Amino acid sequence: MPKPRSRPGLRPGLRPGLRVGMVTTYPPGTGSLNEYAFHFVRAFAAKPEVAELLLFTDELPPGQEYGTDILSDELIFPQTATKRFIPCWRFNNPLNLWRILRAVQAAKPDVVIFNMQFASFGSRKIPATLGLLTPALLRLCGIPSVVLLHNIMETVDLQNAGFANNPLLERVIRFIGWMITHMILRANLVAVTIPKYVEILEARYGVKNVLLAPHGSFETKEEPPTFELPTGPMRIMTFGKFGTYKRVETLVEAFALLQNQKQTALELVIAGTDSPNAPHYLENIAKQYAKVANIRYTGYVAEKDVAQIFGEAAAVVFPYTSTTGSSGVLHQAGDYGKAVVLPMIGDLAELVTEEGYTGEFFEPNDPQSLADAIARILDEPEHRIEMGRQNYLAARGLSLDDVVDWYLLHIEVLLSKRHKKA
Amino acid sequence: MVTNSRVIDQVQVINLQGRLDAHQGKHVDSLLAEAMRTNNRTIVNLSQVHFIDSTGLSVLIKGAKHHREQKGDLVLCELQQPVRIIFELTRLDKMFAIYPTESAAIQALQ
Repeated sequence: MPKPRSRPGLRPGLRPGLRVGMVTTYPPGTGSLNEYAFHFVRAFAAKPEVAELLLFTDELPPGQEYGTDILSDELIFPQTATKRFIPCWRFNNPLNLWRILRAVQAAKPDVVIFNMQFASFGSRKIPATLGLLTPALLRLCGIPSVVLLHNIMETVDLQNAGFANNPLLERVIRFIGWMITHMILRANLVAVTIPKYVEILEARYGVKNVLLAPHGSFETKEEPPTFELPTGPMRIMTFGKFGTYKRVETLVEAFALLQNQKQTALELVIAGTDSPNAPHYLENIAKQYAKVANIRYTGYVAEKDVAQIFGEAAAVVFPYTSTTGSSGVLHQAGDYGKAVVLPMIGDLAELVTEEGYTGEFFEPNDPQSLADAIARILDEPEHRIEMGRQNYLAARGLSLDDVVDWYLLHIEVLLSKRHKKA
Repeated sequence: MVTNSRVIDQVQVINLQGRLDAHQGKHVDSLLAEAMRTNNRTIVNLSQVHFIDSTGLSVLIKGAKHHREQKGDLVLCELQQPVRIIFELTRLDKMFAIYPTESAAIQALQ
């Protein structure tokens, strides 16, 4: 019998009853990637192969509790797996490595997935670094680990992202980043969402355990968008965690310019919170631009309110000074059929082209350029609708539900190799 | 997308031609489902496919998964270089049985 070039991997299949661990943030926690985690977990929990999801989450502030705001959602998306929340780490705590290891060892999942980026575990260098060593440590302890790495050090503009204030410090951080990346790549598998990242990691680190796994669209079970806008002011919306590489100064200044130029009523909606790495950022912005009228700061947006926030927006703006990976907000804007305004920087523009999205572009840090880009959308409803339609189609291309099948295939092969070795 | 389907030695062989992307995904999806109803051993010949995107990959993954659930198998053959690169980037070349020729794939499924 001729040998296949690649070994058959689809048999015998995952045994039912898989217990998947996930180290992640999760709503109502406000840490970065919590929104992605929500949808990622939901897709895993709907798979018949998965019996239990063990969510190793960050600890919530007093008075908050996991699992309280998702019950209605579960009625729409049947979940076959049970979810168990195990809060066991805290942002900026240097003991996270040890605490997560102990929690995982006690819970004994079959595999652990890390939903993370470089600043997931802290804004201070030591806790951030130690946390990122956890996947390697788990593997060392015999626990299969898969990392979904949303950004890589090589493509982050550290100065603009707010992690390094001078060139020397940037070089030091890059060297440390290089070492940490080596350690992250000690996990059994590392998934990234952009093809270029696979090429960079393979070439720079000489590894073969990196794979491309698309970002996937968040399924909302909403009706297809009508592209109509509610009556009232035209809303320009930005969504995310602000203060590091997502900065709203240029947007607020562009909004002020637009209000001076236009007769129509406008509202700027800044939806979201401070980045954990930039406490009090939005509070300071509100003070700094107190004289600019018609700005609404929503604070934390609960999952149930996301559809309304996006639905009311005439344009979604990405006021990024740097990107740190595939944008979940772009996929969400696509899901809701929105026209988007994007900076001409790095891999965000690449993602837009590669994944079939379209948008108006502006020069970073240039309020006039941003105001002009927004105006092109506000002034031409047909252009706005056409752009929204294309983004909707792009977002619907591949659902996170499909992407999770990819992960399960990789996990299947990983576990079958381990069984063979055992 | 141009397709044709035939049975050789009790193995279903599906030839795809053109782009396997979001626009063609549903068509190929139903083709694989139809193939599985008649025969749970299927070869997808990709010799005439010069482009595949993530949706195309997902269709093949789903097809393979459904075949496996029916105790069958879905294998691939004759991948062109651009398509092979995508399989390597996604490490799906480790998940699927991929054969250099159609006859090798048929022989393997006997």
